[in-house]
Formats: sequence, C-alpha cells, structure tokens
Amino acid sequence: MSGRVRIAVTRRFLLGCLPVVALLLSAIDRPTIAADRFPLALMDDRGVTVRLAAPPHRVVSLAPSLTEIVFLLGRDGFLVGVTRFCNVPAAASALPKIGGVSDPDVERIVALSPDLVLCTTDGNPREKVRALEEMGIPCFAVAPQNLEAVFTVVERLGVLLGTADRGRAEAGALRRRARLARAFSRDAEKPDVLFVVSTAPIIAAGEGTFMDELVRLSGGRNAAARFSGRYPRLSLEDLVAARPDVIFVAGMAGVERFPPEVTRWKEVPAFRDGAVITLDGDLVTRPGPRLVTALERVSAALADWRKAPAADEGGKR
Amino acid sequence: MTGGGRKSGAVFPVLAAALLGALALSAATGPVPISFRAAIDAIFRGTDDTAARVLLSLRLPRALLGALVGGALASSGVAFQALLRNPLADPYILGVSGGAAVGALSVALFLSADASPLLPLCAFGGAALSALAVFLLARRRSGVSPERLILMGVVVGAFLNAVIMLMVTLAPPGKIPGALYWLMGDLGLGTPRRVAVLFPYVALGTVLLYLLSRGLDLLLLGDHAAFQAGLPVERVKTATYLTASLLAGSVVAVSGLIGFVGLIVPHGARVLVGSGHRRLLPAAFLLGGAFLVLSDTLARTASPAGELPVGAVTALAGAPFFLYLLRRNGGRS
Repeated sequence: MSGRVRIAVTRRFLLGCLPVVALLLSAIDRPTIAADRFPLALMDDRGVTVRLAAPPHRVVSLAPSLTEIVFLLGRDGFLVGVTRFCNVPAAASALPKIGGVSDPDVERIVALSPDLVLCTTDGNPREKVRALEEMGIPCFAVAPQNLEAVFTVVERLGVLLGTADRGRAEAGALRRRARLARAFSRDAEKPDVLFVVSTAPIIAAGEGTFMDELVRLSGGRNAAARFSGRYPRLSLEDLVAARPDVIFVAGMAGVERFPPEVTRWKEVPAFRDGAVITLDGDLVTRPGPRLVTALERVSAALADWRKAPAADEGGKR
Repeated sequence: MTGGGRKSGAVFPVLAAALLGALALSAATGPVPISFRAAIDAIFRGTDDTAARVLLSLRLPRALLGALVGGALASSGVAFQALLRNPLADPYILGVSGGAAVGALSVALFLSADASPLLPLCAFGGAALSALAVFLLARRRSGVSPERLILMGVVVGAFLNAVIMLMVTLAPPGKIPGALYWLMGDLGLGTPRRVAVLFPYVALGTVLLYLLSRGLDLLLLGDHAAFQAGLPVERVKTATYLTASLLAGSVVAVSGLIGFVGLIVPHGARVLVGSGHRRLLPAAFLLGGAFLVLSDTLARTASPAGELPVGAVTALAGAPFFLYLLRRNGGRS
C-alpha cells in the first residue's frame, strides 16, 4: 500500500490531464480496435506502438489487475508468469511468479521467453520495462485512471490477445453492470462519504482515486475532497469536523477497524449509526474488472443508508 | 561552552509565557470551530457538546503531550551533549531511536490487527534494551568514555538500521504505513490517558537531571578536572546516561521519533541563559515544549493535504535555525 500513498499530483494538473488523455485514447483506439487482425500495431498508454506479428501465446503479467483481465478474457492458458500479488482468481496463485509489482525480476521474465508482457505505467518501474524491451520483448503498458478507462483496457487486451470480440463483450457487460449500479443513485440524497485506506493513522482516499470515483458514481459526496492530494492523512479532529454519514474502510491487513478512541465520537453520523463498512482493499485499489463489484457494493450501501430511518435526524445537510 | 549566563532575569517568565501562549494557540486552532465563549464554558462549566469534547479530549491532551515530549527531548538532549561533551549529540545518538523503531515495527508486523496498544510498550522496551546494550558495550574497567559511547552507539544504530530495512522489505504491504507514520513522529495519539502515563516518567527524569546539574557542569570540564573537583565521575555519568535514556525512551514510546528538538533546543536555550545546567535545563524544557507545540499546530493545520508528520515540521524549521546558530557562533563553540 505504501507505494500507492504517493505525493500528490495537484488536482488542477490531474483534472487538466483527464480530457486530454481521454481524447488521446479515443483517437488512438478506434481505428486499431476496428482492425483487430494480426499482424497488428496498437499504441499503449506511454505512446509506444506495440507490434505483434501473431497472437501471443506466452504472456507475462506484471500487475494483479492485468492478470484478472487476462483471466476474464479466457486467455489464462497463455499466462506463463505473474506477480506474487496475483491471487485472483485463485488459479492465478498457482502460476509461476516473476517477483512483485515494483520489483519484477527481469532475468526470470526473460527466462520464460514471453512474446508479450503486460504492465502498468504507475506501478512497474520504467527502467525494468525498458530492459525487457531492449531484449526484444514487446511490452504493453496501461494507465487507467477511471472506470471507463479500465473497460477500455479490457477491450484493448482483448485485441492484443487475439480475442477482440470477447474483449468487447466483457467490457460491454461491465459497462452495463456499472450503469445498473448507478441507476438508483440518481437524484437521490447525497450522503457525505469517507473512504479510508488506513484507520490508524487515518488516511483517506481523495480526489483522483478510484475510491473517489466509486463514491461519486454511487451518488455520494467524498468527505475528503476538500483536502488536496490523492491520499490525505486526517487527524481525528478532521474526521470529527467532516462528519461523514458513511465510512468505507478499504481493508488491508492490520487496518480494518478503527480503534475505540476514534469510534466513540458519536457526533460522527457513521459511528452513531454503525455505518462503517469494510471492503476488501484489493477490490477498490486494483484497476481491474472487480472495480464494478466494488461499485455495486458501495452503491448498495448508500442505498441502504438512504432507506435507514437514522438518515432523517442527520438532517443538517 | 562554559560562557556565563546572560544577566537578564526576565528569561524564565518570558519562556513560561511562550509555552502557555503556544498551548493556547494550539487549543484555539483546528478544523472544528470553537468560540472563545464555548472554550471558557467547556473548561469552567463542564459543558458537554462537540466543541467541548474536541477541546478537552483532542486538542488540550495533544498540546500537553507536545509540551511534555518537547520538554523531555530538549532536557535529554542537554544531558547527552554534556555527557558526551559533543554539541551534535541528541537523545537518539546512542541507539534509542533504532531500538524503539525495531520494537514498534515488530508489533506492526508480527502481531495481529488490534495490537496497537502494545506499540508504545514495545517501542519503550526496544529503546531501553538498545540504550542498555550501548552502555554495557562501551563500559570498561576504567569507566565509560564519551568516544566509546558514541562509537558503540553508531555501530548499534547501524546494525538496527539494517534490521529495520530488512523488516520493511519483508513486510506485507498493508502493514507498513502505520508503523512508518509512527516512526516519523506523531502526536496524534495524544489522549488524556497517554498524557497521564507519560507524565510521571517526564517528571521523574527531568527532576533527576536537575539534581545532576552541578555534576553536568563539572563534566563539561573533562573527566579529570571533574574528578579533581570531587565529583564521583562514573556514578554521575551512569546516572545521567540512564536518566536521559529513560526520558528519550518513554517519549519515543508515545510520540515516535521526533527529530531535531533534542538537538537544537539545547543550543537555543544556551544562547538565552548560558551553559550553567541549573538554568539551562529548565530553560531547555520550556523552550522545547513551546517549540514542539507550535510545530505540531503547524503540522495539523498548515497543509491542505491533511496532517503532516510533526517530525518533518521540526526538521524543516530546525535545520535552518541550527545552521544560523552555527554560523552565528562561528569559532566560539
């Protein structure tokens, strides 16, 4: 987790970049996705054009989210190496390990003689990816920043792995589920929601995180949005002042629960009403297909909150 | 370093006022708005609304913890600087920090989820063990020399650093942030209970050091001269070492590793009252308390990106100030 709690890219910069990235993606993708025949050339999120003469058969994944997507596309038979964090689906754990996300072992990867390496720009070290490319191994790097971008990754990996139709179908199914999850949040009351990735110290998910997007898509307001930075650290008083109606805890080992000296602050509606919900940390931090599952859970929890009678007394919003 | 004290007798009232002012400022600042009226009611009439509870169970305990921690670190720094006859000595120089860090990380890594109450205890244990180890390693039949203490402190510290790096590398990712934040120094754990637990240690430690102040004055002259002056040199050294380590260890246990206070505040206090320990120790305590309370107020409120580690604030403010002192005192110390 510590790797993720990184120094903030300023909000303005991030917001400024999003449309540009989206524009680039749409401009780049459409023609190549249409022509999904081999040999193919597909530009990745670094702007590098990856060329494949034939569908790859020996694929190494350098991120748990990418491993999940390969399984989703039914191409897990091609996976010859994954990271030690790739544990979903369970069968992924049994695959040969090539190290971690931030410390993949280049030599071990080369020894597997892959014809495609799937990687991310924000988790995998750039110089290791470059080392692989210098050995002549094509590397496709992605950097999805929101749900829609994740769905696009599903489509693009579908193209790369020679199963473009399956990619489009799976991405479409994910989009439909996401739309459904959002449907009953429209025009509804907006609770203040705090999403924390650590309970002691209290570290919240700010703007620019997937968790922030999950809250907004589910019809909530991110109570940590007034802080700058993606993962602001809150004092207990900050938490009391923010008065979140619902708190989600992205469960990591050792930080699932708030200590009693925090939960005794009953002026925080979430503590008063017991609206503290733990979600599997992997579910909300991995930019993979299960983000939709996370969206469904968050959305359902906020729907429960709207139904609960306690919501009425909290009427200072 | 033996320059006489400044004549002005008004230093202590001013320092005391500075500490009180810092405490008041800290109690008045924070995200929950509290009016002056509400604050007075909370303190004197025992009102029980959110404002009162924030003031009495969050801000004041935290400010008081800051005062105790800052004062104790500064006092401990004064003692180590005299004991080691080294102006660069601080409470962490002899392995206390490394030991505390290993203790704290062990809890975070090897114990189950809700073991956080154990963290201060294990940090204190680690600090005490490593301080004791350094002391025993440095001791010879002829006594303890500052050079050997520093040497052993550095070696034990390097060893513990290696252990820390190993632990951080091998740990599962989710378990690390808590321990790391703690290591950077954190007064966020300031509950009334923690203040009450820390108070006796700090009181005992500072009073003991104060009783040793004549001995510390003499130690500055060198072992031989101190012995000639009739000082039981080895006993004073042992007592100073153990007391200063106790102070540092108990403080580290509740607040993590807050750097620079123990290094610079003694120098600042020396500028104000000279290097006689009978005046230097209380002055350093007051100044250290005020400095840390102010730093923590900044750490809590200054950044739009949430709370900063107070250790970073003390270092940011402290390092330039220390450089200024060094330049200003140029050839003299």
